[in-house]
Amino acid sequence: MFKKILIANRGEIAVRILRACRELGIQTVSVYSEVDRASLHVRLADEAYLIGPASSRESYLRIDKLMDVAKKSGCDALHPGYGFLAENPALPRACVDAGITFIGPSAEAMEAMGSKTAGKQLARRAEVPTVPGTSDPIENPSEAQALAQSMGYPVLLKAIAGGGGKGMRVVPNDAAFASAWRDAASEALNAFGDQRVFLEKYLVGPRHIEIQILADAHGRCVSLGERECSVQRRHQKVVEEAPSPVVTPELRRKMGDAAVRLGRAGGYTNAGTVEFLVDADLNFYFLEVNTRLQVEHPVTEQVTGLDLVKLQIAIAADHRLPFAWETITPRGHAMEVRLYAEDPDNNFFPSPGKIISCHVPTGPGIRLDEGVYEGWTVPMDYDPLLSKLIAWGNSREETIARLRRALDEYTIMGIRTNVGLFRRILAEPEFLRGAIHTKWLDEMLARPHPPAASPRPGTEEAALIAAALWHSAQSNASTPGGTAPQEAPSRWKMEGRRRQMDHMP
Amino acid sequence: MKLEIQLTGADGKRKHIVELEQKGELWGVSLDGQALDADAMQIAPNAVSVMLGGQSFEIHVSRSADGTLNLQCGPHEFSAEIIDPRAWRGRKHGPVEVEGRQEILAPMPGKVVRLLVAVGATVEAGQGVLVVEAMKMQNEIRSPKSGKVERLLVKEGQSVNAGQALCVVA
Repeated sequence: MFKKILIANRGEIAVRILRACRELGIQTVSVYSEVDRASLHVRLADEAYLIGPASSRESYLRIDKLMDVAKKSGCDALHPGYGFLAENPALPRACVDAGITFIGPSAEAMEAMGSKTAGKQLARRAEVPTVPGTSDPIENPSEAQALAQSMGYPVLLKAIAGGGGKGMRVVPNDAAFASAWRDAASEALNAFGDQRVFLEKYLVGPRHIEIQILADAHGRCVSLGERECSVQRRHQKVVEEAPSPVVTPELRRKMGDAAVRLGRAGGYTNAGTVEFLVDADLNFYFLEVNTRLQVEHPVTEQVTGLDLVKLQIAIAADHRLPFAWETITPRGHAMEVRLYAEDPDNNFFPSPGKIISCHVPTGPGIRLDEGVYEGWTVPMDYDPLLSKLIAWGNSREETIARLRRALDEYTIMGIRTNVGLFRRILAEPEFLRGAIHTKWLDEMLARPHPPAASPRPGTEEAALIAAALWHSAQSNASTPGGTAPQEAPSRWKMEGRRRQMDHMP
Repeated sequence: MKLEIQLTGADGKRKHIVELEQKGELWGVSLDGQALDADAMQIAPNAVSVMLGGQSFEIHVSRSADGTLNLQCGPHEFSAEIIDPRAWRGRKHGPVEVEGRQEILAPMPGKVVRLLVAVGATVEAGQGVLVVEAMKMQNEIRSPKSGKVERLLVKEGQSVNAGQALCVVA
């Protein structure tokens, strides 16, 4: 097993990986940019090293700096997380050259499957159904536009190196083509350092369902079942769940077989996700492979009881997957919502800033994977994901009820978050029936907001009282000689409590 | 302690007089001259527990940049302005509006990555005038009205703060 792992990422995923390492007794090394000195992944690591200024192109995307840190600190493995360099084959290559184990697939498997065009070619060879479109990047915008015209609108532009909706644009008609091309290419260049884009026919109203696979270096490749990720805004997943409300055991087996076939054909090792679009008749089409851990991996963990990060580490350390995992079936239901620092009332504009207060939910069936804390300032330089709130329950209904309850307990002040959006989604009859598709959320947001439930009687009075008390406490605290609103605890009361404790059985 | 508070909720603004009286670790309350069957307690630096006729409320409080208080009670949000005779606060200025002229402000801190129009160009309401990148997302900033671009106040590549003027459309 490894002694020390370099975590080449930031935010909640770096914290997630740190925790797995700690449970395995492996030392951790974090890296950080100048604006991330106070970040949680730096605070929790055994060692942490500054690798450059805020701009990710000069810090988190610098392979040379990562290799320097790995060598200097004596790491024997590197975990890339998701985003940044996680799907860039240059990173596993650099690791091989430096004699460090990359926790993920080989550079060759990444190239054979990770790039959207190569993945599609591989899928055709492995007899996995695909969506119509080009399989090669298009360099010339006018050539691409001519192709879009012949294919018929709407079409989808996608970054070759893309993921998470970055560098992706739907083009509804010919007039919108030029600006969509420009935006997709420049976003792709900024996010991945690769501006190449390709073109695909856009299916109307499909579901997004993906299969988690695990493959060891000894020829075993297994499916851990599906995740339904159809609730998306601007192609960014917002709510994910497992199992999917529409996948039957038979469809699960068919999709799992297709995903495993693809993994074998690409010589894949470690954790990967095969994404499919599923139409109303439950036909599935290969979309792409994510050659890394997914943001939404916790829902699979909750229904399988497995720890995917630990399994990734074990596979990288050349361990074998046991047989029994091939027969895994989901237990109960899990659902994840992604909390972003963005303002749903103001066109989802990012809302970086200082978190003045943060009260997090706990209790049965609740898991929170977060990368933030009270008093921390969310930098404007990175993806605005704050945390992932995951609920587990015996049924989809119980899971949704737990998630709603947890959202009501969750209070973040100082920055705007999209928590209100989830309250709305989790109350929509279509969502509750599981009647969702990839455009469902955009359509829901285009409808007028339903009036918010009015607060119970007394809420307004309570708010007034709280405002007055808080204000006077603040002004007392800043006035010399002022009395604080909280006195020292009464000794009589303490004595009473102590006696009650003594009487407890 | 007696305070005048203007509370803004989902259904409008109202002014109230709140009086607080300390009773041990709790506070007694009267509202608009009426004593309430209520008590309140600060349970954390930014949280107050209020008991009102046996109903329990927890309110999270923070102060925004302009001095108003943000109050959250579960899913419900309020803002409160304390009209404190001891405190002096300057009046807030709204965006400049001179006879149909609109100043477009940056809705978030970020970087101007592209200007989509030039000075003197005619724009439609809703047409994109420039693109601001923040947190790796490119956001098109649109004109609120049809008219002519009178001034562009930023350059491509320039960093901007939330609320900074970007462009004037007349």
